[in-house]
Amino acid sequence: MPGPLAPPRNTPPAVDASLLADDAGLAPLLASRRVILCVGCGGVGKTTTTAALGLAAARRGKRVLCLTIDPARRLSQSLGIEEMKTEAQTIEPARFERAGVDVPGSMTVMMLDTKSTFDSLVASLAPSPEQRDRILGNVLYKYISTSLAGTQEYMAMEKLYAVRSDPSYDLVLLDTPPTANALDFLDAPERLVGAIDSAATRWFVQAFQSSGKLSLNLLARSTAAVLRGIGKLTGSGFLEQIAAFIHEMNAVFGGWKQRADAVASALRGPDVAYVLVTTPDPLCVREVLYFADRLREQEMRRDAFVVNRVHPVYGAIPGAAEIAAALDGSGLALGPGAAARLLQAAEDESRMGKLDHLNLIALDAALEDEQTGGSVRVDVPAFPYDIYDVAGLARIADVLAPLPGAAG
Amino acid sequence: MTSAHLALQAGGLGQDLPELERRRFLFVTGKGGVGKTTISGALALAFAARGKRVLVAMCNTKERLSAILGTRPIGQEVTHVAERVWAVNISPDKALREYGEMVLKVRAAADLVFDNKYTRTFFRAVPGLFEWAMLGKAWFHTTELLPDGSPRFDVVLLDAPATGHGMDMLRVPKVILDVAPPGILRRDAEAAWAMFRDPARSGVVVVTLPEEMPATETVELVAEIRGELGLPVHRLIINGVLPPLFSPEERRALLVDPGRLDIAAPTRAAHTAESAIVAGARRAMRESVQHESLGRLRRELDLPTVILPFLFDEASTVAGTRRLAARL
Repeated sequence: MPGPLAPPRNTPPAVDASLLADDAGLAPLLASRRVILCVGCGGVGKTTTTAALGLAAARRGKRVLCLTIDPARRLSQSLGIEEMKTEAQTIEPARFERAGVDVPGSMTVMMLDTKSTFDSLVASLAPSPEQRDRILGNVLYKYISTSLAGTQEYMAMEKLYAVRSDPSYDLVLLDTPPTANALDFLDAPERLVGAIDSAATRWFVQAFQSSGKLSLNLLARSTAAVLRGIGKLTGSGFLEQIAAFIHEMNAVFGGWKQRADAVASALRGPDVAYVLVTTPDPLCVREVLYFADRLREQEMRRDAFVVNRVHPVYGAIPGAAEIAAALDGSGLALGPGAAARLLQAAEDESRMGKLDHLNLIALDAALEDEQTGGSVRVDVPAFPYDIYDVAGLARIADVLAPLPGAAG
Repeated sequence: MTSAHLALQAGGLGQDLPELERRRFLFVTGKGGVGKTTISGALALAFAARGKRVLVAMCNTKERLSAILGTRPIGQEVTHVAERVWAVNISPDKALREYGEMVLKVRAAADLVFDNKYTRTFFRAVPGLFEWAMLGKAWFHTTELLPDGSPRFDVVLLDAPATGHGMDMLRVPKVILDVAPPGILRRDAEAAWAMFRDPARSGVVVVTLPEEMPATETVELVAEIRGELGLPVHRLIINGVLPPLFSPEERRALLVDPGRLDIAAPTRAAHTAESAIVAGARRAMRESVQHESLGRLRRELDLPTVILPFLFDEASTVAGTRRLAARL
């Protein structure tokens, strides 16, 4: 477990709370790490979890940067940020005040844009403006910078790498792209660089250079046969096009390869936390466990597991008569037979809650080793609506990392 | 679109599904977490129940279909998973190699190209080649014939990756047309693209949930598929629709007190009669959101729509999938 925490830069809201340890839930991660990556399959509420963790840290006086892919429109609206803008946008303190949330720190949001990240990477690594323009104008570049498998994941890492040492932030959170496959995300740097900078491309570039253009009889026969085979598959002019492009990119490679290695090793740094996000759905649980295995294989940490949308169990639900009596006393004007329908609503949700509970027992068993290894697990109750405002995020933040001294 | 009107008039319960199964190739797509794989499985069972032979193709995914159908894990080989239903989890490397063998005709030539360690890496840099190989393999299965000359599969359902990656995959033939010079790759991509755009042979099925964010994204997704890609969208499947318990007036009354919607409210109210009122308020909230989302999808998308019920404790199970298939 992380050691004692550094004192927050600003005094937390409750006066005597500073006497209590801020060590509940994910709070130690917020205090001890510089980078937090939220990972998990699509549709589990990763973006909301990332934003809520950011808010939890900002409430503790941290200056937080959230890197996100595509926040829900209403969430961005209520935070006052423009969706399509890739520059850093700091949320106005007034938004927090209006929601009654005390935020001594700050929260900045930056939208990830794969192409512009790639463009600026090329611009920063290209030795000359001419070379930069040739690459950026290449028809293949247009594709590689947006649609090549792994580009999105790699550029998210790249952006993270670029901002992680920015002194204007104490904590950087990354809402990772929803990968179809856990492997995609972990292998992205290696895969993308491997596709361009490798012995393979040198082999091709040499093959073309030695002949000036594709003149197969000058090459070793097997090489020629291979090139002819590929040429048949892809159209022969295409090979030259790709080789020329790769040759162009080679000027940039030295720096790039180094950088990809640096990014990959930064992902394993001691100041990075991995938060695995899931729901109780057995398929999502399976996926998150698979992801945890992959992280373990790569000797990467699994710092926390967040289970979103855990439905409540209402315990012993009273009968319809008792509900009808309570309804009379509540002043609620509902139609005939309302008590039975309320009972139905409670039973329906309890059924989901019980099922969630069963699914989470499976997760518990699977996480036994993780938890003895120091991983934290936090369950977030299901909201009956999408979270799209500061007050809602603050409620999730209360669950993920309760402020010391806050009522339980 | 008369079928659309019929479906809408009948409350969108998909009377026109037979028309859907006449297509040879269907992409099933939607935002992550909407139940795409469950719907692919349920559609396959529904088509099979009408006598069709169906293949569910997945793209190199950590497949969940076997859990949903209660079968053994589905790998790179076509596996029989239910009566008249087969499934395959396409591996891009293997698909590319098979494609290469088809194009190069001579096995030895293919070995030379694909066993070369350099070319394998090189192929990754070729725009869309792996995605193309997977897409092409899925399509190839529509052309396979049995010894008696009938098609091996009547319908191939492609359980496409979630929204972003799914769109990338649908875009691949177009990317190839943009960047590849004339050759076999381009010729095949042209043929595939023509087929994908032909509403009589192929099309997209979009899956969503009756919730705010999924509805918003679905409206955008459909616009992108029809606009940017120009592909036909045949169905909107709205998964997880709750049977309403409360009238609009009752919903308003139940939502007056925001305290009942707080996440801690169910715990606070447990074991008391208030718990039913809290549950009612939560249900009313969900029903309101659902009502708005369904209205929005109906207003903004002119699509034949199928509404599937929320399964309280059977989601992602074999029994649940069969129940959905029966509804389809």
